[in-house]
Amino acid sequence: MSVADALAVRPGLALAADDEAADRALLDRLADWCSRYTPWAAADPWPHGFGLWLDVSGCAHLFGGEEALLRHLGGRLRRGGLSARAAVADTPGAAWAWAPGGSGSPCLPPRGQRDALAPLPMAALRLEPATVATLHGLGLRCVGDLYGVPRAGLAARFGRGVAQRLDQALGHETEPISPRRPPPDHGVHAAFAEPIARPEDIAEAVRRLLERLSGQLEADGLGLRRLEVTAFRVDATWRAIAIGTSRPVRAPAHLLRLLAEDLPALDPGFGIEAMRLAALEVAPLPPEQTGLGAGTARSDDFARLLDSLGNRLGFDRIMRLAPQQSHVPERAVVPLPPAAPMPALAWPQRRRPVRLFSRPEPVEAMAPVPDSPPVMFRWRNRTHRVVRADAAERIADEWWRRTAPERDYYVVEDDSGRRFWLFREGLYGADPPPRWYLHGVFP
Amino acid sequence: MTAPLPYAELQVTSNYSFLRGASDPRDMVVAAKALGLAALAITDRNTLSGVVRAHGAARQLGLRLVVGARLDLTDGASLLCYPTDVAAYSRLTRLLTLGKRRAPKGECHLARADVAAHAEGQILIALPPETPDADFAAQLREWAALCPRRVFLAAHWLFRGDERRRLAMLADLARDTGAPLVVTNDVHYHIPERRILQDVVTCIREGCTLAEAGWRLAANAERHLKPAEEMARLFRDHPDAVARSVEIARRCRFSLDELRYDYPTEDADPQTRLERLTWEGAARRYPAGVPDKVRDALVEELALIARKNYAPYFLTVHDIVRFADSRGILSQGRGSAANSAVCFCLYITHVDPDKFQLLFARFISDARDEPPDIDVDFEHERREEVIQYIYDHYGRDHAGLAATVIHYRARSAIRDVGKVLGLSEDTVAALARTTWGWSSDPINPDHVRQAGLCPDDPTLALAMSLAGELTGFPRHLSQHVGGFVISRGRLDDLVSIENAAMTGRTVIEWDKDDIEELGMMKVDVLALGMLSCLRRAFTLLRQHHGLDLTLATVPPEDPAVYAMIARADTIGVFQVESRAQMTMLPRLRPEEFYDLVIEVAIVRPGPIQGDMVHPYLRRREGKEKPSYPSEDLKGVLERTLGVPLFQEQAMQVAIVGAGFTPAEADELRRSMASFRNSGKVAMFRDKLISGMLANNHTRDFAERVFRQIEGFGEYGFPESHAAAFANLVYVSAWIKCHYPAVFACALLNSQPMGFYAPAQIVRDAQEHGVAILPADVNASAWDCTLEGPALRLGLRQIRGLSEEAGRTVEKRRGDGYCSPQSLWRRTELDAKALEALAKADAFGSLGLARRDALWAVKALTAPPLPLLAGLDAAEPAVTLPRATAGEEIIHDYASLKLSLKAHPLALLRSPLTGMGIAPAERLREATGKISVAGLVLMRQRPGTSSGVVFLTLEDETGVANIVVWPQIFETFRRPLMTATCLRVDGRVQREGIVVHVIATHLTDLTPALHSLGSGEMHLKSRNFH
Repeated sequence: MSVADALAVRPGLALAADDEAADRALLDRLADWCSRYTPWAAADPWPHGFGLWLDVSGCAHLFGGEEALLRHLGGRLRRGGLSARAAVADTPGAAWAWAPGGSGSPCLPPRGQRDALAPLPMAALRLEPATVATLHGLGLRCVGDLYGVPRAGLAARFGRGVAQRLDQALGHETEPISPRRPPPDHGVHAAFAEPIARPEDIAEAVRRLLERLSGQLEADGLGLRRLEVTAFRVDATWRAIAIGTSRPVRAPAHLLRLLAEDLPALDPGFGIEAMRLAALEVAPLPPEQTGLGAGTARSDDFARLLDSLGNRLGFDRIMRLAPQQSHVPERAVVPLPPAAPMPALAWPQRRRPVRLFSRPEPVEAMAPVPDSPPVMFRWRNRTHRVVRADAAERIADEWWRRTAPERDYYVVEDDSGRRFWLFREGLYGADPPPRWYLHGVFP
Repeated sequence: MTAPLPYAELQVTSNYSFLRGASDPRDMVVAAKALGLAALAITDRNTLSGVVRAHGAARQLGLRLVVGARLDLTDGASLLCYPTDVAAYSRLTRLLTLGKRRAPKGECHLARADVAAHAEGQILIALPPETPDADFAAQLREWAALCPRRVFLAAHWLFRGDERRRLAMLADLARDTGAPLVVTNDVHYHIPERRILQDVVTCIREGCTLAEAGWRLAANAERHLKPAEEMARLFRDHPDAVARSVEIARRCRFSLDELRYDYPTEDADPQTRLERLTWEGAARRYPAGVPDKVRDALVEELALIARKNYAPYFLTVHDIVRFADSRGILSQGRGSAANSAVCFCLYITHVDPDKFQLLFARFISDARDEPPDIDVDFEHERREEVIQYIYDHYGRDHAGLAATVIHYRARSAIRDVGKVLGLSEDTVAALARTTWGWSSDPINPDHVRQAGLCPDDPTLALAMSLAGELTGFPRHLSQHVGGFVISRGRLDDLVSIENAAMTGRTVIEWDKDDIEELGMMKVDVLALGMLSCLRRAFTLLRQHHGLDLTLATVPPEDPAVYAMIARADTIGVFQVESRAQMTMLPRLRPEEFYDLVIEVAIVRPGPIQGDMVHPYLRRREGKEKPSYPSEDLKGVLERTLGVPLFQEQAMQVAIVGAGFTPAEADELRRSMASFRNSGKVAMFRDKLISGMLANNHTRDFAERVFRQIEGFGEYGFPESHAAAFANLVYVSAWIKCHYPAVFACALLNSQPMGFYAPAQIVRDAQEHGVAILPADVNASAWDCTLEGPALRLGLRQIRGLSEEAGRTVEKRRGDGYCSPQSLWRRTELDAKALEALAKADAFGSLGLARRDALWAVKALTAPPLPLLAGLDAAEPAVTLPRATAGEEIIHDYASLKLSLKAHPLALLRSPLTGMGIAPAERLREATGKISVAGLVLMRQRPGTSSGVVFLTLEDETGVANIVVWPQIFETFRRPLMTATCLRVDGRVQREGIVVHVIATHLTDLTPALHSLGSGEMHLKSRNFH
């Protein structure tokens, strides 16, 4: 059905683009979550449907039986805002066919699939829609209609597909479930023969652990964004500190420097018997060549500076300025987080002051009409006589944001050689009368 | 205003530089005139498509227009190019043609060398880049050397702040290179307020939102037309550069009025040849002697043609029609040409002037100096042959299709504006739905509220007002449906030619109004499906009945045909088969040809909007006496009982009744047809109504006439055009009346066309006593055929079967296929085609039921499994479930969209009767409440019906016409829009013999239908919304 047709039926329909990748990702996450029921959980790879496979052999009794497991699973999914239909059967194929539900128990009795599946529609066998249509055309509508058809005849017309699906459902052919692999976890752990308590021992322990962690990360091409250090004390309590970095890092020396300020917070009490470093957040960081060329070192220095400042002041209090595409001076600059990539955008060609006042300061000015630069102006109680000036640069506001009079900007130089950026808002003879402002100074 | 100051604006980008300029060329001209500029140049990017409009306006206002174009080059700075004389103009059009023909549609690739080769007689202004560098200086020197004294350098003052330095630098550059400075303002809109729209079109062009557009927008609103005083003030340091603009304008003496257009002719004396051909044709048309009336008309017309020198035009159309005839392609002139006896004798039109009153003056007149316009319809399937003949015969440099300027409509405007303002897709879609796609009316706030949006929201309000402004803007050029311009000289001397989106087509960049403005003649080569159908019918009549008929020789004025039409028994008949027409026919009761002319014209938006239909019907039925608004108008309106029904009559009413001049009346009609001239429309409205009131007409009548003209603007039928169509109505009705099998066969073979699907055509044929035989591999051709009195369905009816496969089955049949295997071996069809044949039950002659056939063909083409190869001889027999009657019908519908076995509703009849549902045939005598059910054939929601939906249901006994009022529609929207089979409860309403059911309740019966085949029934209705 086309969107237009759907809207004709239901005008208020909310539209969302089909995003199969997102659906698949959600399904993968659900499959991971289902590992609480069985280690053998997987997302259904069949392209015409979305489903989850759970091999619950030997697991169901932990939840009080198969039906109880399904109830538990269904209840959890519903609470997560997902509706699901589930079935348990001897074979994945039979469970898939039985899952759309209907009457009776969601759990097929052992070896009960042949009878149970017989009245189900052909589509229950996970066949391509075109194949189902052709089978319908032959008058073969239910799974059971296939039981009496010779295999050779089916194979000659549909290849292996139909017979294989039937065999998989009935259990004549096995269909293994391949579980998803868990994502790699990065963390290192050390237990000490003797409890340690001296600061230099703690620092050394952290340094060694950092080296091991760094090795792990390098092997996977990752860098740290957040690191947690946990110290387990002999009295069965623990202390933890965490640091963040502005960009992915895995150099142990750099990380140790960042940690150094916080290490005293790892109060050893009666002694630390074990320590764990966990990478809470990682980001890709390709292996890089170190030690050659000055450029790398400098950018490293800069990064270290940012990290030191950030861990001390808070990362949200450091920013850098980047150009932004707007003619309006106030909007031509945008603050960015320090580690954010600079946009691939040159600063505008027009002459702009190095210091732009965030709020233009009103000045009194005298200028010939209609659009000549001022001959003199008074700013902060000082009168400046203009000796040189450029013609007006006219900038109109972004009309879709607000309506304001046009501004005529002038670069002017006073008799002491200082340069200013002034503008007149509005035109002479207009109502309200124009007003003059100083918006910035040149060095 | 004081005496004009010496400044001419030479750099103007109008909105014909698509999505760059923000003002119409005509607005530019009007503004330039008001500012008192000495001259105005329109310089659109690599195109001259806006200059004709500017030319017309400039001539009216007496402003000097300089024709030019901005040339954007692939290897250098852009140039403004102004031809100084006709020869230079032709060089410019050829240059643009060169650039466009070698580029994809809509682009123009030109290099400096190309310009250099066409530079003679051109004045060039070079546009300096942001930072004029050495390379630019070198280019400038090159141009200056190539065209001494004809190259200039543009200087702008756009309030960038650095103008003084920049001007000084450009002045140095000018001195160094010998290309003097000239002032232009790089105008993109006529008034500063248009900056907003300029920003919007920039964003549309760049595909970004306003927030993202950034520096792609201009910083200020200075690119408007400025008065000479202001330009002089800005450039007070360079007064000579200002004066130079006027000097350049003075040197560019070329005007579009100088273009000489000649119609192609191959004879020294076209008039003599035309007269000879006309009289020869007359002798053939009237073997018993040319009637006096026609003879007089011919003499008069030929004299007028000679005075106007139009003979070559008639000969050209004659030539094209003769070519079509030689290929057996049916054609008929439509439009005002049908008013000409000469056209009839040249076999261009087929309405016999002896039997029909002609109004040749409507076609050409001494008073109007405007070229005749002959539109000819050809068979839709074979029109391309005619088009290619024209290209081949006259050459691509002498013939080209006219362009059509695609304008923004309300819906497309709100879509693009919404995107630019960053509205969500849902919101844009919802807004777009509040307007009809073709409407040029602004969006109604109430509709917006109905769509669940708030029209007072500032962004939405902005979107709606901007969309309103954008509506009517040209968006891009497309090709005219078939309007050819053919010239004796090279066409690219007059206008540049570009590639069309369709391969093998070339298009000039002017549209039909431009062509008309310049007095060029065009032939419309149009396509009409009914002509394909009639040609097939004539062929069948010849083969099976020994009748040799043509459009002109079908026996005229046959009472049986009129009786059939009056019964509304018109399924498949040209024009009068629609539901609206069918309801009209029993009231109008046509008895002669002129009644058909009225019938064709009356069911049109013009008369309907003008509320002229019912007065006419009342008078026709004798319920009301014809009365005339005045004695003057009696002459105009007598033929139509005092009610204006035709376009000409509405114009005549404006002339006679409201004191319009003929030219004004024509302009009125035109301003209605083009969109958004709302100011003009209002002006005409006042003029018309006050004029008619002054002549003692009632306000009510005046307003109805105005509304009718409004409706005519876009959809009106002139009388002659209605006459041409009425001829096809009569011919198709005659064939249907006397040879229903032939008619059904021809109609089926011409699908898709018309209102009805094959199922209804077949059923209608059956009701007229035609036996229908099923499609079968051993009997059917690709097309439907006649077997004696019976009609054999062709393989073309089978869904999923390609024409190539179908024709192969027909060709390789020999003495018949004895098994699916033999068919497969001989035809080598693929699996898809074989399955399509099996699913259509086309193996019946082999004794194979549909399922058995499908089982058999499935095995033929499946890839053999290695283990099973060679086993097919030993294949065990399979017993497939027998199909029930319901399943058979469902499968028939799935494959053929019809079933010869039974109607699906027939199988459901007993449960339906149990539910109190009556068969449709009962409607003939029923009154009061009734329930009917049927397959949904059609859903219509005409724009003129204010939300009323018309449904057509079909059961085994006939069709039921349902009317659904808007409130019921909203309540039952879902079943109404989705059901394949619908139950309708309602009241019977009858008008004459036409019966409607006014729905009060709708129920989806599709599940009941599904139960027949224990599967899905897919039947797609025809939806018009």
